[in-house]
Amino acid sequence: MRYSKRAAVGSFKVFNFLFAVHIFMTYVGRFSFMAGPSMLPTFAVEGEIVIEDFITYRLFPDKMKRGDLLIVRSPIEPTKVICKRLIGLPGDIVCVDPSGVVYPSTEHVVVPKGHVWISGDNALASRDSRMYGPVPIGLVKGRVFARVWPLNSFKVFTNQISYIE
Amino acid sequence: MSSFPLFRKALPFLYWSPTVFFLSDHFFHVKTISGRSMQPTLNPDSSQWRDVALFSKFAVREAEDYGRDDIVTVRSPQNPKYVLIKRIIAMEGDTVKTLPPYPDLEVTVPEGHVWIEGDEHFVSDDSNHYGPVSKSLIESKLLMIIWPPNRFGTVSMKACPPQEGHPLSDEQRREINRHARVHIPPIPSSTSDE
Repeated sequence: MRYSKRAAVGSFKVFNFLFAVHIFMTYVGRFSFMAGPSMLPTFAVEGEIVIEDFITYRLFPDKMKRGDLLIVRSPIEPTKVICKRLIGLPGDIVCVDPSGVVYPSTEHVVVPKGHVWISGDNALASRDSRMYGPVPIGLVKGRVFARVWPLNSFKVFTNQISYIE
Repeated sequence: MSSFPLFRKALPFLYWSPTVFFLSDHFFHVKTISGRSMQPTLNPDSSQWRDVALFSKFAVREAEDYGRDDIVTVRSPQNPKYVLIKRIIAMEGDTVKTLPPYPDLEVTVPEGHVWIEGDEHFVSDDSNHYGPVSKSLIESKLLMIIWPPNRFGTVSMKACPPQEGHPLSDEQRREINRHARVHIPPIPSSTSDE
């Protein structure tokens, strides 16, 4: 009897530990596979592992800057998570489609309050704000911090955007 | 550390907090409802307490078991700090007759979106202000009210059907008005060419 009780408590402790790991992975950060052609040439189509950082935007929402690599819950498919580049912050005027493939390149739109404009680096193979419009900030989970695999292309992603005054 | 008796008593609870947090994050959580936008269904003026309710996250995230007339919590599309409680009026593909602040008279809800409104829409900041909202913003579904005790119980998402000879209740009138504004397209019947 005493043995089975100890086994039950032990397995609860194992689950408790796994839950703690899971919570860390949802709220702080985790390793994750990258897949898909939409972010070429920044990310390859497959075989890359990155570190996702969820805690920075959670603690400092103002750290979101144009040019960051965002991890976003897809606004049209709730189970999917996508990685796109942040183009416009609330209040910005963005060109809907500079390439002119989906929309004429003369069309501009103001990003509404509480939303961001996101776009894939590879416009031809990306489903992004050009199709579904600005995305609520509530769907932004975090950002890509670094690529760790393959080892020879290790890179910490910093914001490279400079502005013309 | 052991010289603080309070800390020593709290330690077992702290130790099991990941399990509690996991359950509230993925299955059920309890929240106090504030504001008037869902009156008279929630927080009616006749009640001196604010309603405390049990919500299911599992029904939304894993089971995707929510639809028209369900009351859900939604992360505000305008300010991610706030969570709103609203009723789903229409699902993707439906056509809704909108209410005043909205610029168009009718809207077809796009793919992956829903139309949400408060029951008291003139004090509610809802889809009539910001348009259809993404399904991904829905966080949980209301299951039951657990406080105050006299309001304990499930919230009926659908009013009981009107009966012959009885005047319509307020709830039934609201539901009829709500349904009259939504046009649900017929499900295309899959016909085989054999």
